[in-house]
Order: sequence, then structure tokens, then C-alpha cells
Amino acid sequence: MSTPSTYDIIVIGAGPAGQKAAVQGAKAGKRVALIERERGIGGSCVYRGTIPSKTLRESALQLDRLKRAGEVFQFSLKPDMHIATLLSRLEQVVQAHDSFMSQQLRRNGISLLHGRAHFLNDHTIEMQTVDGAQQQLTAGTIVVGTGSRPRSPQEIPVDHEHILDSDSLLSMMYLPQSLTVIGGGVIGCEYASIFALLGVEVTLIDRAPYPLQFMDRELVDQFVQGLEQCGSHYRGECQITQVRWDQVAHVLTTLHDGTVVKSEKMLVALGRQANIEDLGLEAAGVTVSDKGLIPVNQYCQTNIEHIYAVGDMVSGPALASKAMEQGRRAVRHALNLPVGDAASTIPLGIYTIPEMASIGLDEKSARERYKDPLIGRAKFEEVARAQISGASHGLLKMVADPDGDRLLGVQIVGDSATELVHLGQLALQSSATVESFIDNVFNFPTYAETYRIAALDILGQVAKRRAAKAA
Amino acid sequence: MPSDIQPAASQLEQLEQALVQKIKTGDVELPLLPQAASKVMALASDPNADAAKLSALIHQDQALAAHVLRIANSPAYMPRSPVVSLQHAVAMLGITLLSEIAFTASLKTGAFKVPGYEDDVKQLWRHSLASGAFAKEVARMRRVNVESAYLCGLLHAIGKPVVLRTATTLASQQRIALEKPVLSGWMAGYHTEVGSMIADKWGLPKQVAVAIQYYGDYDHATEFRQECLLTCVANRLASHLLTPDEMPEDTLRDHSVFAELNLYPQDIDTLLLTKDQVLTIVNAMNL
Repeated sequence: MSTPSTYDIIVIGAGPAGQKAAVQGAKAGKRVALIERERGIGGSCVYRGTIPSKTLRESALQLDRLKRAGEVFQFSLKPDMHIATLLSRLEQVVQAHDSFMSQQLRRNGISLLHGRAHFLNDHTIEMQTVDGAQQQLTAGTIVVGTGSRPRSPQEIPVDHEHILDSDSLLSMMYLPQSLTVIGGGVIGCEYASIFALLGVEVTLIDRAPYPLQFMDRELVDQFVQGLEQCGSHYRGECQITQVRWDQVAHVLTTLHDGTVVKSEKMLVALGRQANIEDLGLEAAGVTVSDKGLIPVNQYCQTNIEHIYAVGDMVSGPALASKAMEQGRRAVRHALNLPVGDAASTIPLGIYTIPEMASIGLDEKSARERYKDPLIGRAKFEEVARAQISGASHGLLKMVADPDGDRLLGVQIVGDSATELVHLGQLALQSSATVESFIDNVFNFPTYAETYRIAALDILGQVAKRRAAKAA
Repeated sequence: MPSDIQPAASQLEQLEQALVQKIKTGDVELPLLPQAASKVMALASDPNADAAKLSALIHQDQALAAHVLRIANSPAYMPRSPVVSLQHAVAMLGITLLSEIAFTASLKTGAFKVPGYEDDVKQLWRHSLASGAFAKEVARMRRVNVESAYLCGLLHAIGKPVVLRTATTLASQQRIALEKPVLSGWMAGYHTEVGSMIADKWGLPKQVAVAIQYYGDYDHATEFRQECLLTCVANRLASHLLTPDEMPEDTLRDHSVFAELNLYPQDIDTLLLTKDQVLTIVNAMNL
């Protein structure tokens, strides 16, 4: 074994979190090594998660628009398509992304190494390249961001053929006629709504009475309505007792009440588990929780102060935006650079159809904290932009303090919700008042007008409260 | 048809030209194994038979499987969506119709016979079955859908028996004896071209067609590179399993395709542990 290569910072995992950590370190003038076990960079986000699913989602939306336009312009589409056709743009998207990210890493002088890494001790990493060669590296700071993979519960026989997880789902050859989705979390709901829009009969099953428990109920109700309008169903408060492939044509899902749900394929979306098994964390003395996650403080520091953990291996939800911010924060903290408090205002964006987004307090949390907050609502059907786009189902909720002065949060469901939420994010970060949304001029027609409508709704309620008090 | 008399080089060249001409004009025919077809018929008349058994039986024969898929996708049956796997075919068409398709397929081409080359044909089937089974294992390891992988593995060398039969028929007509190395060279040289024609003619799924064409030349595949890499690995593993003298373990491992597919040495070890399982499948489907 040759002498270990020495770096200031070693980052393990080139997903969103690892990349941002590496770039932040290099920009601060440090010598950085970024180790990735896969050939491409970008992690699950690029190859199996965010980008593929959003590409399929975009195809589903475009097909839906064409179908609707077809009624007017009198043309028709092929009734069914291969998944590969729907993902035909994916390779271009991934290549463009890979090329951009590679350039960014090269530009910043980061050493990108292809191999599997594990700790020999708290400062030394051993890396095995794909051809079996070994190499040792040492660094003062080590950032672990090896991401996660779909969790496969023992009782469900995921075979990647009939019973799939979110990794293998998109390599299905054809659109099934029916799909059972187990798990009402982000991944389950996103795929359920995409396949439902593509004409697949989807049954979404979860233990909870409604999916996406952490989101505002009003938003979730609109999502479930959308699912049902496509001919699909949500089955809440269901325990699954057995899942099996009947060796012929169907996956049979037996529920606690004896009901059997039959479908051609199944997606198991019951959370993700961190990729930590091969890291040899014990050799570095890094603590792992019972849930297989790495406990960290607000700076993503593990119990070993110069080892940081970022992204999915720290906690859910598995959001690329959150992971990127954690990567940046970890390295800034390690280098004694100002960290900022951006982590408190990370928006939630869920790419269901319709999409959902949230920033700050929602109605439920605001009621718990402020007892009687004011909620302004703006339905998308009230703005011209939504009418023009043919996407009039949507809602923006603005949450304000009981005086209707301070903005506490924004929740949105509908077209462009994940973009629109950033206006609320900036307003929250700059402590903008509700009234400031009225004092601004918004382009016409835009979805942003809904902010003004919701603000007016709140101010109207303030006036009524004042009038009631005066009386 | 071995012979002590070696054909002249010019005769071989002419024969090869004739073979190339047939390939260029598409004058090749998909063979079927009547034995498998008759098993299908026997199964169909068995009151205890079910769709799973039928699907498994058809899976044993790459030619029949592909033929069934082609017919299932033909205008005669007009499926709601393209039928791309036998499980799908069973689901879409049911046992009775699928049995009819298998029977029709067997009637259409009569018999797949290459007199004097039965062992070679059998070896080709075994190789295809092993490739299909290994392709599933590789796909599971890479966490991609195994359905597509199996079909790519099973059908990747579909052109070989066709080349073999066409070449030996031509040789018989011209009364030329062919040595196995010559035939092996022609099969290796022309099977992807023939396989592509078959894929096109049958309307096989695009990823299967691309894998047939580029599994040995994956750097030239402009799409479905993963399927090509996977098929290449499965093909090598199958060769190692069935003809270890020709593909010893060192030779097997010494190929950039494993690194291209991001398979580390330990991953190859894991795949090699499935050899017995794959061999069981291949033997169980002995035709």
C-alpha cells in the first residue's frame, strides 16, 4: 500500500449534498477529494430519483395537455406507450446535468475519485476502485453523504419485476393497466399521481387516514380529489397483511379486513434507508441511531467533531434542496465560516400532480402557536393565468398572525406551486408584512396574483374583526 | 456435416457471399422448436394446467417466446398496449389464446432442424437461457427492472440459430461441407445483423432490439446503454458457466464491461455464486 494521499477535506458521496460540500470546501481554497462509488455523479437524485421521476412527470403533464388539446384540435394519441418513450428525454437531461456538474467540480479543482470508501480510522479512508485496486486517503475533515436507497420491508417480496421499488419502477418496459402503491409519503404520492394521469388505475394504500400527513390537510384533499378524478383511489387506515405475486398476472395485496387488491404491478414506497453499511463507521467511532441514521447537530456534525454527515443519511424527507444546504453548512462550519440560518426556511416542494409546496407555519401549526391566526385563501380559478393554462384547480393559503400583520407561512397546491412558494420564502426571510403583498404590482396574468388575493382576504378578515370588536 | 474433404477457399467465399445476400434481402425465417410447441399443446389440454405453467414453458424456448410475442402484438389480436413479456401476454390474452398462438407458431414453421448440428443448437438455447437468467441477477444487483433484462438476455443471440440454419441449408444445396470453426465465425459475425432484422420484423421492444444489436459493441449504442452493458455481462457469465474452457474466470473478469456497469470485484463474486442456481434453471428447461 502506497503512502496515503492527504487532503484538507474528503467528501464521500457525490450526490447533491456531497457536491455542495466539496464545492464549498474548494471555494474556500481547500484541497478536496470527492469519492463516488457510481460512475456518474449526482447520486440517486440524478439517476434514480428526482430527475427521472420529474422527467416522467413532465411527459405525463405534456400528454395530458395534448389529450385535452386533442378534443379541440381533433387529433388523438396512441392509447398506450412504452415507459422508455415517456422517458426519452431522460438521457439528454442526465447527460446535460452530468456534464454541467463535472465541469463545476473540475473548475473548482476538486479531485473526483471513483470507488467505494470505508473508514480505517477517524481520519483515514480506504477506497477500492472498480477494478479492485486499493488506495488510502487522509483528511482533517470528512463529510459523509452516501445517501439512501428504498427500504425493502422483509414481509414484502420486492422482486424488481412485479413488485418494484422506486429504483426499479422506471425501468418497467410498459405502462401497466393497474398499479398498487404502498406508502402515502412523498415518493408514493408523486408516483401515484403521475401514473394515474398516464391512465393507469392506481390504488394508493397507507396506514394513515390521509396521505402526506406533514402537509396542510386542505392541500392534501385537493391531491386526493385529483387522484380520484383520474379513476384512481386512496385507501387510508389500511394494514397490509400479505403481498404476493400470483405467478400469473397479478400482485395480490391482502388488507387487514380481508380485502384483496389486485394489480398488475406494485410500487413499494415505505421510506428509505441510509447507505451506511459499507462505510465502516465503527472504525471512526461515529454513532449510528437505532433507525440506521447518523445523529448530527445543527451544523451536521456527528459525535466525532471533524466528521460530518449530510443529506438522506441524517434524516428525512429526502429532498435534494435540503441535502445541498446541509452540505454547504457542514463545510462552512468546519472551516469556521459564517453559516447563516437558511436551514430554518427550507421550503417543501412535492411534485405530485397537482404539485404542492409549503414554507413556514401551516394553518395547524399556527393555531397551536397563535391560537387564532388569520388564514387568507386564493383559489387559482380566481386568476386569469390559471384559466388560460387550463389549470384552475389550485389554492394558495397565506398564514398570518392574529393581527393580520406578520406573515407566518404559505402553502400552495396547484400548477407551479413549487416555483410560486419562493415568493413567500423571500417574504418570510425579509419579515415582510401581509400588506406588502398589496403594495406591490404583480405582472398580469400570473399565478403570483394569488398572493395579493390571499393578502386581501386576510386584511378583509382584519377589518371584520376590528368591526366586531368595535361593536 | 463434418467431412474429411476441405472445401476450397473460393467455395467458402461464395457460400459466405450467398449467406450475406440472404441476410441482406431478409430471406431468413424464424425457427420454432416443435417439441416445445407440442408441450404447450399438451399443457393446454391438461385440466391441471395454469397460466403460470404455460408462461414458464414458453419461456424455455427463445424462438417460441419471441414468436408468441410477435403474434400477440400483431393486428390479429390488437392488444390494448404492446405485449412485451410473456407474463404480460398471459395477462392480456389468457391461456387459451396463448396456446393457440403457440400452436399456430409451431405449425407455421414446422420444425427447427439443422441436421448434424443438434448439439450446437441445444448449446445455443442453453446459452440463451443462461444469459436470460444471469441478466435477471445482474438487473437485481443494479436495482433495475428484471423483465426487460431477461428478454434482452434471452433474445440477444436469436440471430445465431438463424445464421446456422441458413448457412447449413446453403451449404447442403451447394454440397459443401462446413467445419465448425467456419460456422462459429459466421454466427459470431452475422448474428447481430440477423438479430436486428428479426427484432425489427417482430416489433420487439426497442431496448431489446438495441441490446441485440449492440451488446458486444455497447460504446456505439446511442440509447439503452444500460441494457447493452447488462446483456454483455450476462452473455459473458453464460459463456463462463456453460463453456468454462473457452471463458475461464480470469478471462470473464478481464473485461471493461464490469467497470462500465459499475460492478466491483465483490459484485462479480456475488454473481458467480448464482451459477448453480442458473444452471438448475437451464437444466430444468432442457429441450
